[in-house]
Amino acid sequence: MSHEKKSVIRFDKVTKKFGSLKALDEVSFQIEDGEFVFITGPSGAGKTTMLKLILGEISPGSGEVVVDGINVKNLTEKELPYFRQKIGIVFQDFKVLPERTVSENVEVALAVTGILESEWLERVKHVLKLVGLSRQAELFPSQLSGGELQRVSLARALSVNPKFILADEPTGNLDWETSDAIMQLFEKINKEGKTIIMATHNLEIIKKYKKREIHIVDGRLAPDGDKINK
Amino acid sequence: MSNIHLKTAFGYMRRAPFQAAAAVFVLSLTFFVATLVSILAYSSSQLLSYFESRPQVIAFLKDGTSDTQVGDLQHKLAANSIIKDIKYVSKEEALSIYKKATSDNPLLGQLVSPSIFPASLEFSVTDLSFAQNIIDEVKGESIVDSVGFTAAVGGESNLNDVVSRLKTITTYVRLGGIMFTGVLTLASFVVLLITITMRMATRREEIEILNLIGATKSFIRSPIMLEAIIYAAVGVFVGWILAFIAVLYSAPTLVSYFGEIPILPRDTPGILSVFGIILGAELLGGMILAVSGSLLAISRVRKTR
Repeated sequence: MSHEKKSVIRFDKVTKKFGSLKALDEVSFQIEDGEFVFITGPSGAGKTTMLKLILGEISPGSGEVVVDGINVKNLTEKELPYFRQKIGIVFQDFKVLPERTVSENVEVALAVTGILESEWLERVKHVLKLVGLSRQAELFPSQLSGGELQRVSLARALSVNPKFILADEPTGNLDWETSDAIMQLFEKINKEGKTIIMATHNLEIIKKYKKREIHIVDGRLAPDGDKINK
Repeated sequence: MSNIHLKTAFGYMRRAPFQAAAAVFVLSLTFFVATLVSILAYSSSQLLSYFESRPQVIAFLKDGTSDTQVGDLQHKLAANSIIKDIKYVSKEEALSIYKKATSDNPLLGQLVSPSIFPASLEFSVTDLSFAQNIIDEVKGESIVDSVGFTAAVGGESNLNDVVSRLKTITTYVRLGGIMFTGVLTLASFVVLLITITMRMATRREEIEILNLIGATKSFIRSPIMLEAIIYAAVGVFVGWILAFIAVLYSAPTLVSYFGEIPILPRDTPGILSVFGIILGAELLGGMILAVSGSLLAISRVRKTR
């Protein structure tokens, strides 16, 4: 029995310039539903630019970025928020709301996507249990460690049941042990069927969690830049 | 959804209590003055209409005038569209009015008989500028002995002068009140603008995060606009209540000073309905102020990003 996987993200000869600097140069690849993909490369290689293009924060100069069948370039300003609601995002610097508790941070994401308030409590409980923060639900970000903050960010991303998760250097500010714990969480989520696209330059993680790797150097896909590590 | 926005709005206020207090203070002051100016406008228009609706012209009739002659003149006057509120006052009624006016000294009333008071026809004119023509016309009637105005007020030569003087004063009072309220409204608008702009600036990171996780513009704007609306609503209520108390406190003195002139409604439903209308108008004004102020602040901040 064969079953074809649907492509969730497709880059087709994407070029992006910032002034005279070419951040991405004719990059093409596609990511299928349920995949766990590392986007790797040194700092400044264009990893974050790729994630920003997927999110519609910036538009490609040429080429196409197609996400879940939608050409991101064609999205209007009004459509963009609804498009982003389908994506879970995890940031290197966590980007949690500092004046809201852990559970409130998750609730904000639920409110943004228009999920009924009656469902919030159950969803918040579920995701906080999943990321291991049930006991910290009423704490403020200033009372949490880096690893815990990243878990809040992940819980927020997961709470809206996104089609896929974009993670921009999620372990960048964490020690190895915490990074490993976070990675195990990502793996668990991926095994449950979520597509994960993670930008990272952490070689230890890349080596330990052998996933498909899209390697970018100076804005270009490296010669052997799209490989499945085994 | 609205709960989270309300919670957020109250959260902002808690975090910057002095900004919130400044906004509420200025708005309260504005609506306090606006309420007083509205009451002043109401009272002055009542005062004016009282004087305007008083019988302005009295045609004293010659002794021996028959009822038929009086009836004919009454019909003739009634046919004139400029003349209104015609009333016949007999000699007996004139005496009774005199007695009522001198009730504090009953001896004065006992010394006179109805025969010394002439019967009269009292009437008003729709516009005081026609008064002189009408008077000249009525003077020419055979049964009319003399024509006069009602008692002069404040040393004015006639009621025409009193009314025109009152009109001038009322116009200046209204203009002054509107200008003062306008300046305060502008100050409130600027304070709201500053408060919201500062709020947007301090929330920049939060707005950025909300944008990234897919918040719509209205989701981001809602708590900011709610905050402005809360300020305006509190400002309206505080200003209105303070003015209401001030008016109720001074009402007995004002009512006794102005006597029979109804500068304020005498009954509770009347005064409540006047204040109710003012509150409704101020709430509407407050909402317009809050929404326009916050929208302007939001658009300004977005432009500078």
